[in-house]
Amino acid sequence: MHERLSYYVKRDSALHRLNPLTKIILALSIVLVSIVSPWYWTAHILLLLVIVPLSFAGRVSREYFTSAIRLILPAAGFIFLMQAFFQPIGNTVIFKYLFLDVTQESLSFAFRISTRIAVMISAFTLFLLTTHPSELMSDLTRRGLPPQFAYVIISTLQILPQMQAKAQTIIAAQRSRGLDTESTFFKRAGSVVPLVGPLVFGSLVEVEERAIAIEARGFTSKSIKTSLHEIPDSLSDKIIRWVLILLVLLSIALKIWLS
Amino acid sequence: MKIEIRDLRFTYPTGLEALQGVSLVVEPGEQVAIVGQNGAGKTTLVRHFNGLLQAAAGSVLIGEWDPKKYSVAKLASRVGYVFQNPDEQLFSKDVGTEVKFGPRNLGYAKEKIDELVQRALSLTELSDKTETNPYDLSPTWRKMVALASVIAMDTPIVIFDEPTTGQDALNVARIAHVIAELRREGKTVITITHDIDFCAENFERVIAMSKGRILLDGPAREILGQEHILAQTYVDPPQLTRLGKKLGLKETVRNQVEFLEIYKNHRNK
Ligand SMILES: Nc1ncnc2c1ncn2[C@@H]1O[C@H](COP(=O)(O)OP(=O)(O)O)[C@@H](O)[C@H]1O
Ligand SMILES: [Mg+2]
Repeated sequence: MHERLSYYVKRDSALHRLNPLTKIILALSIVLVSIVSPWYWTAHILLLLVIVPLSFAGRVSREYFTSAIRLILPAAGFIFLMQAFFQPIGNTVIFKYLFLDVTQESLSFAFRISTRIAVMISAFTLFLLTTHPSELMSDLTRRGLPPQFAYVIISTLQILPQMQAKAQTIIAAQRSRGLDTESTFFKRAGSVVPLVGPLVFGSLVEVEERAIAIEARGFTSKSIKTSLHEIPDSLSDKIIRWVLILLVLLSIALKIWLS
Repeated sequence: MKIEIRDLRFTYPTGLEALQGVSLVVEPGEQVAIVGQNGAGKTTLVRHFNGLLQAAAGSVLIGEWDPKKYSVAKLASRVGYVFQNPDEQLFSKDVGTEVKFGPRNLGYAKEKIDELVQRALSLTELSDKTETNPYDLSPTWRKMVALASVIAMDTPIVIFDEPTTGQDALNVARIAHVIAELRREGKTVITITHDIDFCAENFERVIAMSKGRILLDGPAREILGQEHILAQTYVDPPQLTRLGKKLGLKETVRNQVEFLEIYKNHRNK
């Protein structure tokens, strides 16, 4: 009941105040530019000079660096090793291990690809850290996204922590009736049965109740709905979006022109 | 079995200090009601009795056992705990199997298990429903199944967390009957409740909690008269108690019998 429903960190910052659509476009443009730009160092520079400053602008630098260590570094590191060892390019062998050659070319390729991966994950991490999922969904619904689609996304985000909390309560209730969940593996495996029944049944009941509750508020009504919660979309949001789109088009054009 | 709590403190991982130094002793065979506003820490307190939560500071003793040194499954042989929502514990395909689950976990002999299950089922008036699937029963009967499944464990201490919430008058009477029967067998019963009439009619001792502390603890007659302190934790004394006060009766009354008797004396004077 006190679990975090998403990555979102509630704070007030310039990044938090941006319209959700602007933030999606920002994340997507960073990713696209890092991929299509023909220049080798683009991704590295984006990471150091755009992503990191943005995390400070959004006042989520601490959370960003935590997830960088936990998630981004291992993912990028894995890609780096795979590419360095298995990319069959280049002749300047730096060292050999069994039948695998690590060449200067494969190293530089691996460095570029893994940084792109880091940029990709970082951009969306920043987006998730500074955007409340329901705000995103209301904004997108207002712009024409089918509400059913928004509902599926939101409830998926929420169902995991809710099921987790429910499972905790059920396990506590069964342990209180003497169910041994701690000692041997077999006892633990056996203790799954008294958990799954109430969990699945309870979740099904909840789904039904939720369906009735939203239907009672006119979820499938075709008429135009107003929203209690206005999500600001300022002129600067619009300008930022157009500038970003132009930047992306520009880097695509550069790529085509140079190749 | 005696329960001894000394200066118990507990803080949830969220940083919320749910218990801020609670001390109490419950003698074997006592019947205690715990009242208080939502979030006062009642559930948090009783979850320390069977080891679901562990004290951050202070001490808990169940008999001579320190719950920290025993698993919840072990403590289940001393403390039976009926959760508020039966749907979070019922999983068997029929009532009989469900009620058997607890005593079987405790490793009693087969004959004893059968006897305990029969007794629990008849006490909760479920004897004619042993073959039914719990989910085919109404919510009130499911509540009785949850009660039976804990009573069948034959623990010296039984805890009910809000047993009467959402129950009809008939079922409240059934639950009161179960508690009276447990008292007759000499068991300790601790009940969390928001139903102040239920509390006044069935319990000799009342504990009022507020914001992680015990506000009042004593005989029901004394506690239920302290309107102003109870108001701090959003508890209203029972209607008859308040009526008695309004009529200027000298003693605090808790139920119809007491009210009629005292009121008669009052008028005859
Ligand atoms: N699992 C939990 N995590 C964090 N806080 C909790 C948890 N359970 C309860 N609390 C908080 O602890 C306080 C006491 O809760 P609880 O003992 O359930 O109160 P009561 O049973 O008296 O209504 C409340 O403020 C509640 O929000
Ligand atoms: Mg409670």
